[in-house]
Amino acid sequence: MIHVDPRERNFIIGTTILLLIFGTAVLVSSFAFGFQVPAPVERLDPKLVATPGQSPWGDPVEERVRELAPNKYEVYILAQAWNFQPREIRVPVGSTVTFMVTSKDVQHGFRLDGTNVNMMVLPGEVAKLTATFDEAGTYNFVCHEYCGVGHHTMYGQLIVEP
Amino acid sequence: MAATVTKAGTPYKSSGMLIWRLFFGLFGLMAAGVIWFSTARPITVLPRITLAPGFYLSDQNGERFTSEDLRGQIVLYNFTYTNCTDPCVATSQVMAEVQSRLLTVDASVPLKLVTFSIDPDRDDAAQMAAYSTELGADGSVWHWATGGAKQLKSVIGGGFGVFYDVREDGRFKLDPAFFLVDGSGVIRAEYRTEEPDIDIIMRDFGLLAAEVDHSEGIYRFAYEAAHLFSCYPR
Repeated sequence: MIHVDPRERNFIIGTTILLLIFGTAVLVSSFAFGFQVPAPVERLDPKLVATPGQSPWGDPVEERVRELAPNKYEVYILAQAWNFQPREIRVPVGSTVTFMVTSKDVQHGFRLDGTNVNMMVLPGEVAKLTATFDEAGTYNFVCHEYCGVGHHTMYGQLIVEP
Repeated sequence: MAATVTKAGTPYKSSGMLIWRLFFGLFGLMAAGVIWFSTARPITVLPRITLAPGFYLSDQNGERFTSEDLRGQIVLYNFTYTNCTDPCVATSQVMAEVQSRLLTVDASVPLKLVTFSIDPDRDDAAQMAAYSTELGADGSVWHWATGGAKQLKSVIGGGFGVFYDVREDGRFKLDPAFFLVDGSGVIRAEYRTEEPDIDIIMRDFGLLAAEVDHSEGIYRFAYEAAHLFSCYPR
């Protein structure tokens, strides 16, 4: 056996245990708890997405805020250079709103102030998040992925009515 | 190694080594087992998506029909109305096709189909019975049900998350959708399209039936492990 200084040996043992703990954490979180990077809930053809009859994003813009049941809404938002459709959404206070956002051209972003809704919007993929609005007021949403010269005009409002 | 064991004073040291070897050996085995289970996926299960809504409706015979009547049975849900001329016609055809293939699934629990009518004003029991007979529905397998507009909205819109709305001409805008619900009333698969792959629906019926058959003893833990490791069909 080669001579190993006890302090050095303890250090080797300590770091090995630390590595094993982290390795286990990675394995358990990915396989046991199923942690994943946010995956698209649905894939679709960005060329056809805005075509009437092909998808809910092809419906008239005033029909894209849908009341599933009292106080339960889903909103189909189409992001394109350089606006959101619809750009104004109205729901009553206490509503649970599911945002389904997709892009028909380039990469966009969707961030809703005052909530944890913050998504990357890619053409061909659907970004989906749900938020509940217990306080009346105006919530602004913006595109926060640079998408061209008109990027700064890409915003809208969610109005929660009392 | 054998020589060192015989020396005085060394056994303590070598048993310390043994503990470390056991520790690393067991750890390696566990890691290998986890990686094998989640990559080779010996068991496939359907995800437990969310709880299906409870309901209290009446069926095509005018009798009470509730979610409790379907406990312990594997049920495929679908939504339509008898005046439909849009995608919901196609979804009813899918249901009919699934009904004709249900006997090919090896199951120890009843497999059922349920269609809700979203148009309670026009679809009374007689109307639903006539429409379902036209589709070749077997009344003991394929149930039709409807109820008050308010309850339907909360069950279908709120519970299943399927949007529908009446239009000015009396027709409905309805998103096509199918839901597979297990015996505990948990949604295990959803197919939000008017033309789902029927082979996949039959496969999913089979997966749920297999899970019921393996719900006891050691198998139960293996199936729970499959849920834990997200062994879902690809």
